Amino acid sequence: MSGSARRGGLPGASTAWTRFLEVMSGDKTSHIAIPLFSVALSMVAASLLLLALGENPLVAMAAFLRGSGFMVKPSYAGGQSALTDFLSFLGILAPMLLAALSVAAALRAGMFNIGVAGQMLAAGYVATILAGYADMAPALARPLVVLLGLSVGATMGAAVGFLKYRFNIHEVVSTIMFNYITSYVTGFLINTHYSDAITRSSRVCSRAARLTVTGIDVGGLRLTFPIGILIALAAAAIMKFVLDRTTVGFELKAVGLNRDAARYAGISVGRVTVFAMSVSGALAGLAGVTYYLGYYNNIMPKTLASLGFDAIAVALLGNLNPVGSIFSSILVTIFQKGSVYMSSTLGAPQEVASVITSVMLLFSACGACVRFHAARMLEKLAGRGGSDEGGGG
Amino acid sequence: MMDAIMTDGLSFAMPLLIMAIGGIYSERAGVVMLAIEGLQGFGAFVGAAAAVISGIYLGTESPLLIFIAMAAAMAGGAAFSSIHALLCVKFRAQQVISGMVVNTLAMALSPFLTSVINRAITGNESNKFQIGPSVRFTVPGLSEIPLVGGLFKSMYPFEIVIIAAALISCYVLYKTRYGLRLRACGENPHSLDAAGGDVNRTRTIAVLICGALSGLGGVFLAYSISATYSPNIYVGYGYLSIAAMIFGNWKIPPTACVCMFFGLARSAGYQLCLYLGMPGSYSDLLLTLPYALTLLLLVFFSKRNNPPRAMGETFDRSRR
Repeated sequence: MSGSARRGGLPGASTAWTRFLEVMSGDKTSHIAIPLFSVALSMVAASLLLLALGENPLVAMAAFLRGSGFMVKPSYAGGQSALTDFLSFLGILAPMLLAALSVAAALRAGMFNIGVAGQMLAAGYVATILAGYADMAPALARPLVVLLGLSVGATMGAAVGFLKYRFNIHEVVSTIMFNYITSYVTGFLINTHYSDAITRSSRVCSRAARLTVTGIDVGGLRLTFPIGILIALAAAAIMKFVLDRTTVGFELKAVGLNRDAARYAGISVGRVTVFAMSVSGALAGLAGVTYYLGYYNNIMPKTLASLGFDAIAVALLGNLNPVGSIFSSILVTIFQKGSVYMSSTLGAPQEVASVITSVMLLFSACGACVRFHAARMLEKLAGRGGSDEGGGG
Repeated sequence: MMDAIMTDGLSFAMPLLIMAIGGIYSERAGVVMLAIEGLQGFGAFVGAAAAVISGIYLGTESPLLIFIAMAAAMAGGAAFSSIHALLCVKFRAQQVISGMVVNTLAMALSPFLTSVINRAITGNESNKFQIGPSVRFTVPGLSEIPLVGGLFKSMYPFEIVIIAAALISCYVLYKTRYGLRLRACGENPHSLDAAGGDVNRTRTIAVLICGALSGLGGVFLAYSISATYSPNIYVGYGYLSIAAMIFGNWKIPPTACVCMFFGLARSAGYQLCLYLGMPGSYSDLLLTLPYALTLLLLVFFSKRNNPPRAMGETFDRSRR
């Protein structure tokens, strides 16, 4: 580090380096520059990992993109194309984004919702048995599914918030307990009432209730469009508006930054706690219905979606910001969705994808430290520059 | 039936307890510890890998293997927890975030490395290690006691190690200079700093101890549940131990009671199901018992909870 600063004697290098440090530590730029920097660093680390496995990093990255429908594969099965891959990518992106927003909503209020997976499962289960197995027209069934997802998730979230503020039960404990309870109870009910004899998961929900538009005909391809992605993007936009422009959003952030200061300022911390957790739960519920009635269409009993835990990483990578979450969920989903194709064409283990994701998270966790050091180096550089000029004069 | 409840209950409670004690070290020192899930899994992975690799040289029947696994798991857990220590203490990362980083990293790395190691040893890419069943023993005399005798029947060697570790931890945390400093770190790090102690060093050591103990818990889970190591180790028992620690108010004796409660409620649920002759699917319903009861009990007991006051704050000498 000091070596680079000393090389700053050359005028060109000096300005470029100073400029870089300014961008990294500046108030306006750092919240974009730091995540980009950590993603760039993790791409370097990922390339080294792939090289160590004997793969060409560029070929592997292209395979990830091909698997997610961002690039065209060399060959396709009948009725398949890059567009079908991309729509399938959007289908799993939707729950990922919604779950990340759910984590972010709670964390902005200073609470750690580790129960996203349980809330997803509860919402998906209720929506499946009430709407998915009923004989209803799509125009009725789909809004009902969304509504059920919202309300079941919000109820579970509100319960967690209530237990926290009324009985001082830590949200990490209660959400973990709810995760287990939901997983066992729905598993029991599915195994005894709704089990499919062959797949051992729940029976597939009706076509009318799925949050997808099927049978769109484009150039001989029959496409399935996931409605979930529209819900997810709308949720991100609404959340951004609420956090940035409304009183509730301000109160929520205030409670997250300092509960005592917020109480002193006259904010009802209990009310905000319950509100934030129910919003978080509602978003998790939406993630659940787009996951279980859109992407998979059935429920594996006694299994919590790992997506609910991955979403924590995605939300943190996106700086707990709705717009940031969109980008981070796209990035992480490319690796996860593309890993199957990458593994099948290159033969590298599929787990590489999650290693890359976690390395990205590792570097982004160091963001505050990078910014701190950039600012300090800039100060030192400014100090040295000043003394040099003084000496010259 | 009583014996089975006691034996199974203890073998589920003990790994939870040792992980929770690890968490107590870290959180009483003021470092939020959500990384137990990852630490126990990675510790189990290192332990299982060591057992499998040394099994090639010592023979898979060697009774030494389990002790090699134990030592390796503790070393692996401690080594992995140094990431958390580095991020929280040196890099001033948010501790909740750092914990999740460690978890995701462990969940990604251990299956990946397992398949790499398996490819090197056997040539096939399995994500499991067969570690063989653990040695078990029965304490003569004590196991004859009615009702609680089951606690001393077919015990795992781990259980002795864990009980010893729990007793030593009680002594270390409350009777030694280091323990006093560690608790000061969690309540008011500036007072320790003023008294001439090194806050960052104390915290780092606490996190490393937590890693070692979590690793031990993890490898025990791998042995006791299935005698294999697989990615299934990440089923959330690390989180459950965090819940036990919070329920136990960050103190070792109450936490031990909570862990026993989890263990016994769980095994009693199983046995009740067998006894009543219910179909297997009903056991799932009874398995919710420990969790539902925990929530219910917390409603009554949680008001008096007082977490370490400086938990989650990075130590900054300039802020008093």
